[in-house]
Amino acid sequence: MPSQPLSRVCYVEDDEDIQRIVRLSLERIGKLTVEIVGDPNLAIERMIAFKPDLVMLDWMMPGLDGPALFRKMRDVPATSALPVVFITAKASDRELAELMALGAAGAISKPFAPKDLPDQLRAIWNALP
Amino acid sequence: MTGRNFFLPQMNRAASATEQASPSARIRSNGTAGASDVLADRAAHLYNQVPFGLATTVVIGALATYELWDARFKELVLIWWCLVLLVTAASTGLYLAYRRAANIAVDAERWLRWLGIGALANGVNWGLAAAVFFRAHTHEEQVFLSLLLVGVTAGGIPVFAASWRIFAIFAASIVAPFTYVLTTLGSRLFTEIAFILPVFYAGSVAVAYRLNQVLISGYRLRRAYQTLTEDYTALNRTLEEQIEEFRHAQSVIEASGRKLALFAERAPIAVFELDRKGTILDMNPAAEHTFGYSSSELVGRNLVQTLIPQDEPALDKRWWADFAARKHPEAGIRARCLRRDGLEIVCEYSLTPLVNEFNDLTSVIAQSRDITQQQEAERLKKEFTSTLSHELRTPLTSIIGSLQLINSGMFGNLDREVAELTGVAERNAQRLLDLINDILDIERIESGGFSLQPEEIALDELIRESLVLNRAFAERFGVRIALRTEPPRVFVHVDRKRLLQVMTNLISNAAKFSPEGGQVELSASCADTRVVVSVEDRGPGIPEEFRGRIFSRFAQADSALTRKKGGTGLGLAICKRLIEMMGGEISFADRDGGGTSFSFALPARAEPAAAPL
Repeated sequence: MPSQPLSRVCYVEDDEDIQRIVRLSLERIGKLTVEIVGDPNLAIERMIAFKPDLVMLDWMMPGLDGPALFRKMRDVPATSALPVVFITAKASDRELAELMALGAAGAISKPFAPKDLPDQLRAIWNALP
Repeated sequence: MTGRNFFLPQMNRAASATEQASPSARIRSNGTAGASDVLADRAAHLYNQVPFGLATTVVIGALATYELWDARFKELVLIWWCLVLLVTAASTGLYLAYRRAANIAVDAERWLRWLGIGALANGVNWGLAAAVFFRAHTHEEQVFLSLLLVGVTAGGIPVFAASWRIFAIFAASIVAPFTYVLTTLGSRLFTEIAFILPVFYAGSVAVAYRLNQVLISGYRLRRAYQTLTEDYTALNRTLEEQIEEFRHAQSVIEASGRKLALFAERAPIAVFELDRKGTILDMNPAAEHTFGYSSSELVGRNLVQTLIPQDEPALDKRWWADFAARKHPEAGIRARCLRRDGLEIVCEYSLTPLVNEFNDLTSVIAQSRDITQQQEAERLKKEFTSTLSHELRTPLTSIIGSLQLINSGMFGNLDREVAELTGVAERNAQRLLDLINDILDIERIESGGFSLQPEEIALDELIRESLVLNRAFAERFGVRIALRTEPPRVFVHVDRKRLLQVMTNLISNAAKFSPEGGQVELSASCADTRVVVSVEDRGPGIPEEFRGRIFSRFAQADSALTRKKGGTGLGLAICKRLIEMMGGEISFADRDGGGTSFSFALPARAEPAAAPL
């Protein structure tokens, strides 16, 4: 369990509606500091600047999808140690299992319940070593 | 069929007799067995001579009576004639009795004895004539009598040829008194004749004996020939029957062969006959069509080397060697194949090895179906499902999320009517999501693109977890969930998430159908190597007309209730398939006192199975 509580979350998501809902959920209900990134190609740059505690990645995004971005993050020293949670509407159990094996911290399936989302993230955060 | 049943054992007997006994032994055994037959043949031969013998006796007897008639001994001659007639009458009676007798073969010896007595009586008559009349008559008459007696004795040889003993008795009864009379007459000539007579007797008996032997061997030969003929006829009959059987079997085989050939010829899928190494021996028109080769181009070439690309792992040389060693039928083998025009197709193979009685692989029947288009369709469907899943869920995420945030009260209290409407919107969006999830689930299960992630779990813990998870849902209907009895500690090998899905489905169904204030009861019991989990309600029960299709897709008894309480009509269909995939079965029953009980049974163990390393 990490020493300090979860406070900064970066979310990479191309759908603006969902961006809005997640921001509301995490900021208003979860009282977290949130950075939303719409373009996955800019994500690593923004993460380095924002210094999140935890990163949420949408699975399916145009240009660079979640799993690819995740692998890219692993190659960048500043982001390689960040815990990553996937938000997905699509992944099969097998695909999820593969990502967990690669080091993903968790997965939350779409559609999620916004009022429960902060609790879900905190549960994953608290389960980290 | 009767013919065959009858024929087989007979056949065996004949065969075993031939195998076990050497030819000479067989003839010997037949000779022994035929002794009574030969005796009967001899008796028959002797009795056949009786009419001739008796007729001759009467004629010669009458002649003798006429010639010897003399006033001095007319009483004696008369008495003698009467005796001749008496013996003839008795012999005729014996002859008639023999002719009428039913079982001559068995009683042959008795009949021969009686005939011997008859012959003796006859001979004694003639001996009597010699003893009584010879002394008292003139020389001419003595010559006549001598000739008569010698003639009768000699005539006895052919008549009694079948039994030299009877002849010996007959002749002795004539010759002995005659010889005696001759010796007592005092004449030198007569004395000399008296000496010659026994020699004549001995000679006659010797001739009769020889004749008898010849006859006996003749009868034996005839018997042996008869037996042989019978055996031969029987053998012929069995052979004919056997040939008929073979002919029938052959026609049956030919007919089924023609049928099989026609099946292969007209089958829409490719059929090959291969030898044990995979060389093509024969192929049907569909095979020519599928692979673009003519039969003459492929026959004699190896199927694996010719039609399958070298880098195809599903059906390579090593696989074939394994298959030829295993000799078990294989089905559903998907392998890429090369057509003659270079186009790559995907085929599904079924291979059936044919073995002989020594379990040697003689040939292989390979059936192959071009599934390229089917695979493409499967791929497109999977892609479509996946896209649909994403494209439907993303907007639903926004809708449900927004409504949840509004309904959570974080933007302050809503006007009552607005709150009602956003509640309706959220519930229905949720229902739509459930429906999509269920459709995707059942589609994946039924298309086979769905695999379980089984693990060893304690079932009682899972039951308690399902109770906690569904408590809130049930409370919406004013229904409690309770454990009827403490579930036993057993372990099951299942996909945890999917079994929870089944429990959730059954519990939410039970809650929906329970009356307000009612209770849904969970229980589990062990029976042998299985555990049965039940979810029971006190609802209205399942209508009769609905019972048959309760586990079908989109099966719902009351659509009004669906609108009121939700549900997709796919839940039980999914439950049934999931439980079956986990090696169990699901069923339902009426509950005593009203309500319904849904149960599923799963294989279970008291101890967790050792985890594979």
